[in-house]
Amino acid sequence: MQGLAPPPVAVPRTLPEALAALSAAGDGAAPLAGGTWIMRAPIRHEAHAPAYVALGRIAELRRIDVADDEVAIGAAVTHAELAKALSPFSDLAALAAAAAGSANPAVRNAATIGGNLCARGFPAADLVPALLCLDAVVEIAEAAAPAGSRRLPVEAFLADPAATGGGRIVTRIVLKRSGLRSVHVRLPLRKAGDYPVAIVSAAIGVGGGGRVESARIAVGSVEAAPRRWTGLEGAINGERLDPARIAALAASLAPEFSGRDGVEAPGWYRVRVLPTLVGRAIAALAAAA
Amino acid sequence: MMQVTLLVNGEERRLSAEPLTPLLDVLRDTLHLTGAKPVCREGFCGACMVLLDGAPAVACLTPVALADGRSVETVEGLGTAETPSPVQRALEEHEAVQCGMCFPGMVVTLTHLTRPGNCAPTRDAVKAGLVGNLCRCTGYERIVDAALAVMEDGR
Ligand SMILES: Cc1cc2nc3c(=O)[nH]c(=O)nc-3n(C[C@@H](O)[C@@H](O)[C@H](O)COP(=O)(O)OP(=O)(O)OC[C@H]3O[C@@H](n4cnc5c(N)ncnc54)[C@H](O)[C@@H]3O)c2cc1C
Ligand code: FES
Ligand code: FES
Repeated sequence: MQGLAPPPVAVPRTLPEALAALSAAGDGAAPLAGGTWIMRAPIRHEAHAPAYVALGRIAELRRIDVADDEVAIGAAVTHAELAKALSPFSDLAALAAAAAGSANPAVRNAATIGGNLCARGFPAADLVPALLCLDAVVEIAEAAAPAGSRRLPVEAFLADPAATGGGRIVTRIVLKRSGLRSVHVRLPLRKAGDYPVAIVSAAIGVGGGGRVESARIAVGSVEAAPRRWTGLEGAINGERLDPARIAALAASLAPEFSGRDGVEAPGWYRVRVLPTLVGRAIAALAAAA
Repeated sequence: MMQVTLLVNGEERRLSAEPLTPLLDVLRDTLHLTGAKPVCREGFCGACMVLLDGAPAVACLTPVALADGRSVETVEGLGTAETPSPVQRALEEHEAVQCGMCFPGMVVTLTHLTRPGNCAPTRDAVKAGLVGNLCRCTGYERIVDAALAVMEDGR
């Protein structure tokens, strides 16, 4: 950072202006949403982008549109706004809980869903596993295609390092209303306020006989990046929502994770607590059913 | 540099700053309002808390560019030694202040929590509202007592 000019920040009012500002600012210019990740770049010994384009004044990025079949969330919606707006919808409970339980109240007032999804090298992002279990679709705009924005399933988005950067802005995150119940369980070492050492988000469909018909389970903070736990999803198919039984299945499959060592906890610990978190998630779903 | 207008404790202040400068540094170094404290500078401790358009914000992680045109309330605007605010009076009455390092931030967050409609008058709700305000002297119970007392009086 030393020697470089401090980065300028453009504050556009519309998406086309923002896209134009990003491409005008040149290579490496990046969106600035809540800034709660970007402002700590010096602490992480990372250089700032050469220029930033703020998203907070762009009305269309701050909207949440609720329809019968889908909910579209503007990328600059804050965690606090999201928690409030989604609280009535039980199928989106995983995302509401992720937004309501992350960080602390003042950070939630600033931090955005787009920032959570686009922060690079952030294993403990709360909203990402929730978006994975809810099968979210990410909309991306770029100066060359401001109207016809690209849509990517969140898994493909996370797997593609070129999905952000290069003048691209995530504009909306779209969730289909599945009608399934979903849940987000996290384990911080204090009761709240610090990063979770492990996260389990799940959306589970139960058939007439009380048996699991469909399951999407995602794990965060255990490995370097959040991911689906497809092994467990398959294993619980046809099972009842029995927390002890499903936690035991999770324990037998947990060795497929190689936990990351971090300041809050060593890797083995993150893997060891996973079955317990899975059990808690199932208990919460069973209680709500 | 960027021209920025802030409504600080009701007074319009114009200044120029690098846009990514933390609001905390602008308040302390340019406006000489040193109530908000730089302690962790990473959003965890709450010593730098201000109200941005009425909502708690950590000034250490708020780029001044994002505060442009908005209202900023700092602890200096909330009460004085001669005329303490209800929150400040309650903290004194409950003997909640120990070393005092966390208190500027505590007073700002509690001012928000005790304004109507922001927090249910229960211990759990007040504690949840204080998750981002660390007190190293761990005097939380008396701080919560003081907040609940203000909420009671306000009804
Ligand atoms: C004290 C503290 C505690 C925290 N605890 C938690 C926690 O428990 N759980 C958790 O999940 N997180 C936690 N966080 C991390 C928090 O910074 C992120 O969750 C937050 O969501 C980032 O959002 P932002 O809007 O502030 O991002 P910014 O800092 O503005 O941006 C982050 C990155 O995303 C890019 N970006 C932002 N928006 C877009 C967009 N629309 N399109 C393309 N790129 C974009 C930026 O260029 C940047 O690279 C914590 C942070 C702090 C300070
Ligand atoms: S100094 Fe800002 S939260 Fe600690
Ligand atoms: S009174 Fe000492 S840190 Fe709170």
